[in-house]
Amino acid sequence: MTSTGLASTGIGTETGAIIATAAPQNDDGLTNLRGIALPLGLAAIVLLGWQLAVTLGHISPVILPSPISITRYIIAHYDILLMHAVPTTLESAAAFVLATLLGIALAILITYSRLAREALYPNLVFFQLIPKIALAPLFIIWLGIGSQSRITFAVFIAFFPVVIATTAGFANVDKGMLRLCRALTASEWQIFTSVRFPAALPHIFSGMKIAVTLAIIGVIIGEFITAQAGLGYLIIFATARADTEISMAAIVVLCVCGLLLYGLVALGESIANRFYSADNS
Amino acid sequence: MLAINSDAESTAVPAPLVSVRNVQKTYFTRQAPVQAVASASLDVARGEFVSLLGPSGCGKSTLLMMIAGLEQPTGGSILLGGTEISKPRRDIGVIFQDATLLPWKSALDNVLFPVRILKLPIEAYRRRALELLNMVGLSGFEHKKPSQLSGGMRQRVSICRALIHDPDILLMDEPFSALDAITRDQMNVALSEILETYKKTVVFVTHSIREAAFLSDRVVVMGGRPSTIALDMKMPFQRPRRFDIEETPEFAMVCRKLRLTIEEAHQGPLSGQTSANETRAGETRAGTIE
Repeated sequence: MTSTGLASTGIGTETGAIIATAAPQNDDGLTNLRGIALPLGLAAIVLLGWQLAVTLGHISPVILPSPISITRYIIAHYDILLMHAVPTTLESAAAFVLATLLGIALAILITYSRLAREALYPNLVFFQLIPKIALAPLFIIWLGIGSQSRITFAVFIAFFPVVIATTAGFANVDKGMLRLCRALTASEWQIFTSVRFPAALPHIFSGMKIAVTLAIIGVIIGEFITAQAGLGYLIIFATARADTEISMAAIVVLCVCGLLLYGLVALGESIANRFYSADNS
Repeated sequence: MLAINSDAESTAVPAPLVSVRNVQKTYFTRQAPVQAVASASLDVARGEFVSLLGPSGCGKSTLLMMIAGLEQPTGGSILLGGTEISKPRRDIGVIFQDATLLPWKSALDNVLFPVRILKLPIEAYRRRALELLNMVGLSGFEHKKPSQLSGGMRQRVSICRALIHDPDILLMDEPFSALDAITRDQMNVALSEILETYKKTVVFVTHSIREAAFLSDRVVVMGGRPSTIALDMKMPFQRPRRFDIEETPEFAMVCRKLRLTIEEAHQGPLSGQTSANETRAGETRAGTIE
């Protein structure tokens, strides 16, 4: 869930797209170990401090339960947590897929239609200035209390970075390559499938990585407002009863679900890289 | 403005494959129209190697792009085998200054790219692609990606790509100008060897006098602003050519003539300085203009 913070506002998405681009990998084994050991070490220190603060009585466990008690709760009640995790994950995944398709479709429209580029694009950007989370309750009025309103709201939150990143990717194509295609009498469709789309893939994936975290945020907010199940529902339900242990457990499970979805996107990216990377691998 | 054309000197040849007739090109920019080519006429016979020579910005690349059908002339016409060229055609292969390879495709797949675009049977052309790569000395590199090849190797791949679907005409736009001098010499030899095997009609744009003289049957000098054709000269060297022709006094004379024509056409502040260099370098080789 690392990039959630930087991508939660629509405005920050462009910067987010840049940050979400994978850093160059260093093959050196020692550096790799360092890359894993340092963040894990820091996390362990924070958890240890947290645990000590609670057990030594500086913080009341009602306000903030200790990591050990949260873990114990997750192990004891994994079935309940799982029951709530499934709808949240599925709705997030659906919203993410729809946001990606919508984002790419809009990017194609913006790339190929001058009218769309001039009329639609500035409006899309302006749209991002609206605090979209404030619109969430309206979606319930418009679309009812079912999963469709949560998914639609999540798509609405998540599609923008895909549009921006994909449009940038399509525009980033080597001009010489386009000229070569024209010299070969290639059709627009051939140029799109064999040059433009593959060249844009790294951009598309960085947009998708932000979209997947935004989709989860959208679904959780939807569940906060109205739901009969889901981790967002569980958090609101538990918080209303001041049961912080359940809330924290639900948040941990939410992180795991987020990592799972993010991991699937990263996996997709590495599969695409096998075919569309400039390096031999 | 009329072209200064020395076509009358050349003996009557059968109908030319490419015929450029009083072609003009004006770009209409926001400030003022810019005339890139004032008037150009030339014929290229089947199997002939013609170079368009001139300094940067003399309109030679513009003329080549018009022959390729990638740019439209604003006046005059360009005929290929009697029919006007108005758009790109599959019987023309174009090689650009940059190799413009797909970075995620292997050398072999890049050579096969036109085959895919033109929807020809890939399997049937695979052997030809391997043959071409072998011909340019890239056997063993078929499955390497462009990032693993040197600049010269990448340009060789792009030459193979231009030859794969066997076009009648090759148009080359300063294909070696991004390469270092040594690689460039090697590429010149490689190209003339390739053309001995795969006989093609070639129009070759360059700003190197030596390169034009070494490779061509005819050299067409373009110059002036707006540009016209200043000289159309046959190269008096036998084929196949080896590098030792560059050591002959005949070669030096040809280079000198070409250089003087370019200077005359330009009459810029550079001309005095360069002609002083010319007298010193005249007896051996004339370098590139830049």
